[in-house]
Amino acid sequence: MKKEKTPELNLIIAGVGGQGSIRASHIVGIAAIQEGMRARVGETFGAAMRGGAVASHVRIGKGIFAPLIAKDGAEIVLALEPLEGLRNAVKFLAKGGLLLTNTHAWMPVDVNIGRAEYPTLEAIKGAVEKLGGEVVAIDATSLAQQAGNVRTMNVVMLGALAGTGKLPISVKTLKEVVRENVPPKTIEANLRAFELGFKTIQ
Amino acid sequence: MTEFADLIVEDAPGKRVLLMGNEAIARGAIEAGVGVATSYPGTPASEILETLALAAPKLGFHAEWSVNEKVAFEVAAGAAITGVRALTSMKNAGLNWVMDMFMTLVYGGVRGGFVIAVGDDPDAHYSSNEQDTRFAAFYGEIPCLEPADPQEAREMTRYAFELSERLELPVLVRSVTRICHASGDVEFGKIEKPERKPVFDRHWKLPWRWNVYGPPGPVEKHRWLHGQMPQIKKLVETIPWNKLELRGKPIFGIIASGLGASYAREAVKMLGLENKVAFLKLGTPTPLPEQLVGRMLKSVKSVLVVEEGEPLVELQVRGLAKDMNPDVKLLGKLTGSMPPVGEINTNIVAHALAKLVKRKLPADQPRELIKDEIKNLVTPRSSTLCAGCPHLGSYWALKLALRKVGGKVPIVNGDIGCYEQGGYGIVGKEYKLSFSTESVRYPIDSPYETLDTNYIMGGGVGLMQGQFQAGYKDGAIVGVAGDSTFFHACIPAVINAVYNKAKGLFLVMDNEWTAMTGHQPNPATGITATKEETKLLCVEDVAKACGVEFIQTVDPFDLKTTTAAIEEALKSDKFAIVVARHVCTLQAQRQKKFVGKRMIFDRDKCTGCKICVTFGCPGIIFKEGKAGLDPILCNGCGMCTEVCPTGAIRVEE
Ligand code: SF4
Ligand code: SF4
Repeated sequence: MKKEKTPELNLIIAGVGGQGSIRASHIVGIAAIQEGMRARVGETFGAAMRGGAVASHVRIGKGIFAPLIAKDGAEIVLALEPLEGLRNAVKFLAKGGLLLTNTHAWMPVDVNIGRAEYPTLEAIKGAVEKLGGEVVAIDATSLAQQAGNVRTMNVVMLGALAGTGKLPISVKTLKEVVRENVPPKTIEANLRAFELGFKTIQ
Repeated sequence: MTEFADLIVEDAPGKRVLLMGNEAIARGAIEAGVGVATSYPGTPASEILETLALAAPKLGFHAEWSVNEKVAFEVAAGAAITGVRALTSMKNAGLNWVMDMFMTLVYGGVRGGFVIAVGDDPDAHYSSNEQDTRFAAFYGEIPCLEPADPQEAREMTRYAFELSERLELPVLVRSVTRICHASGDVEFGKIEKPERKPVFDRHWKLPWRWNVYGPPGPVEKHRWLHGQMPQIKKLVETIPWNKLELRGKPIFGIIASGLGASYAREAVKMLGLENKVAFLKLGTPTPLPEQLVGRMLKSVKSVLVVEEGEPLVELQVRGLAKDMNPDVKLLGKLTGSMPPVGEINTNIVAHALAKLVKRKLPADQPRELIKDEIKNLVTPRSSTLCAGCPHLGSYWALKLALRKVGGKVPIVNGDIGCYEQGGYGIVGKEYKLSFSTESVRYPIDSPYETLDTNYIMGGGVGLMQGQFQAGYKDGAIVGVAGDSTFFHACIPAVINAVYNKAKGLFLVMDNEWTAMTGHQPNPATGITATKEETKLLCVEDVAKACGVEFIQTVDPFDLKTTTAAIEEALKSDKFAIVVARHVCTLQAQRQKKFVGKRMIFDRDKCTGCKICVTFGCPGIIFKEGKAGLDPILCNGCGMCTEVCPTGAIRVEE
C-alpha cells in the first residue's frame, strides 16, 4: 500500500445504523477543520433507528462545494461492515482507491429470511480488485472487544485509517478529536481501540 | 467532551466549527436574537429546534416542541405579532399542515422578524413525498432564501430576520436534506441581543392589522401584500447570495439556485469549463433578481438552470426570457436536460453540461461493465426496527390476532413513525402485480410487510373509517399510530370515528418518545424540549374524553396478553383502541434504564423452522440451516422466547 497524503481527500465511511459511522465521519471532519482545512461531511442515510445502510461522505480540501462525492470519486471507502463497503465501493471508489473494511458482517433481514445471499469476503475482495481497487480487511469488531468495548469498533477503523498514512490530518489531532468527541467514560477504551487499529495497519 | 450547548451559544465571531446545516440555521437564529422558536420533529429538519432547545435555557429565550407544525407555526406567529423575533422549523410535509395560517398570516404580515425554516427532501430519503416548498413562498408572495451550504444557512437565517422586519413579512428559508444533514465548516458571526419588549397594537401601520376580517377586510390586505413585492424585488438584486459572474466571452450560462449552485460549480470544474461559463448563483429562487437574470440572458446563447426540486426558477426564467431575450435557449427540467424527479448531484449536472457544450464525459467503459457484473453481489439491506423494539411485539401480536379473527383479507392502515417500517417491505423480495377483482391476502414473512396503506401523519385512522363506511366486509379494518402521531394528527379522526359511528381497531403503539426523528419528547413523555418536567398526557384519557368506549392498555413485550387484547378488540363491535405501551428500547438503553437478560440459544432444539426469523428482530440470525442470536445485536429483551415453538430460545435463570 502506498502511503501518500493527498491535499484533497474524498472519503466515504459506510456502515449500518448504530455502528457509529456518522460519529466517525464527524471526527475526521472536525480534525480537518482544526488543522485549518475546509471540510464537508454529507450523510446519505440515517434515521434514529438501527439497522439501515448509512454512508457519510467526507470531503477535505480547498475546492470543495458539494456535500456528496461524485461517482468514482472516493480515494478511500472505510467500511464498518463489509457489504456496506462493497455497496459504496461499486458506486464511488476511484480506480486505484482503497477499501478498508471490517470483516464482521451484520446480516440484512433480507438474508435472514432467505430472500437474498450475503457475499463472501473473498467475493467482495475479488469484485473490488476487478474494479482496480485495493482491499484491506481487518477484524475490527474483535479488536474493539479487545479494547474493552465492542462499540469502539468505529474508532478501531479510524485508527486503521490513520495507519494507512493517507489522511491529510496528523494522527495527534485525530486522537485529540476522538478524545473530545466520545462519551467521557469511554475515552480510555476508545484510545486503546484507536491504537489497536493503527497498529494492525502500520 | 466539549459541550455542544456551550459551543453553539459562544459569542465568538470568526470562530470556525463543523456544523450540520440544521445547526447552522439554529446558530443564525441565535445570532439574530430569536425570542421564540417552535417546531414539530421531522427529518431532515429536527436538529434545528434540537439545537435551539439546547441554547434556549442559556440565552433565556423560549423553545418548544409543539404538538404539530400548525400549532408550532401559530405559536411563533403569535410571538412575531408582538414584535418578538420568532422562528418555526419543519420538514417539507410539515408545511402542508401549516398552509391555512401561512396563506392568511401574510395578509398583514408580522412585526418581529418571523422565519419559517423548512427542510425539503428531494429523493424522499426520509419523507413520503418530494414536494418543493419554495412554491409556498411564491404562492404566499413572500421571499424565499435558499442556502448553498451550511455557512450560507447560518448567514441567511440571520439575515432572514432582518429582511422579515424590513418587509414586515415572514421569510421562508428553504434547505434540503443534503444541507440540513451535511456538515461543513461554519464561521460564527456576532450574537445580537435585540431587547424586545413584546407590545401589542391593533392598528400598527395598517388598520386591524392582525385581524384579517377587520376592515378593510382580506382583499385590501391582499393588496397590501402585493404592494410589498416591488420592494422585495429591489432588495434581492443586491443581496450577497445572488451573484452574477460574467467574465470574458462566456459560451453558455448557468443559473443555479441553492445547493444546485454547489453541484454546478463542481461540475464546471470537472469539465474544465471555468473560463467559458457565465454563472448566476441564486440565493432567492423567488422572487428572482430580474435584472441579474436579464443581464445573464442577454450575454449568452444558452442557459442551463440547476435547482433541487421542481422547476420553480426555470419557469420564472422562461417568463423573463420572453421579454429579455427570446432567442436564448433554456435548458433544465422542463426540457429533459435535468431529471424531473429525485435529487440532483455533481454527475447529473456534469452530464447536462457536457451535452450542452457537445463534449463527451471521460468514461471508463470496461469498468462500467465490470460494475454491472458486480452489482448482483450487492445484497439489499432492508431497513428494520431495532433489536428488542417494542413495535416488534405489537406487530407479532397483531399478526397472530389477525390470523385468528381478522377474516379473509384484513386491511392494516399505517402511519408515520418508527413503526412505519411495518410497511417498508423486503427489498430483496419480488412482489408480483395483481389484477384480481376480489380482495387478495398476501403472505407475511416479516413485520416489515404488515402495513397495507401508509401515507402521512394521522392518515391511517382516517382511511380505516372510509373503508368501514364503504362497507368493506372481507376482513378486519385496522389503523396503527404512535404516541406522538396520536397527539399530532389523530385526535380529530378519533372524534370523527365516534361521532360518525365507524368501527375497527385503532392500535396505538406508545413508546413514550418521538423516536424515529431522534427521540424528541412529546406530550406522552412528561418533559418539554428544554427538559423541564411537565404534565404527562395519556392516550387513554384523551381517547376516553373523545367518547371511545373500548380502550385497553397492554405491554407489547408480553406477546400473549397483547395478542389477546387485540383479538378482543377485533371481535368487539365498536371503534376499539388498544394502547401498546413500552418505552422505546433504544432510548431506554441510552438512558441506562434498560436491563437486558442473558439469552441462551439451544442449537439442538432449533428445528430450522424460521418462525423466530419472521419475528423480524435484527438480533435473530439464520445460518447453516439453524437460527441463532447475534451476540452483539441482541440486547436480551426476551421477547423472542415466546415466539419459538420448540423452546430453543431461553432466558438464563
Ligand atoms: S428507535 Fe425505539 S421505537 Fe424506533 S425502532 Fe428503535 S427501539 Fe423501536
Ligand atoms: S432477546 Fe430476541 S427479540 Fe430480544 S433482542 Fe435478543 S434476539 Fe431480539
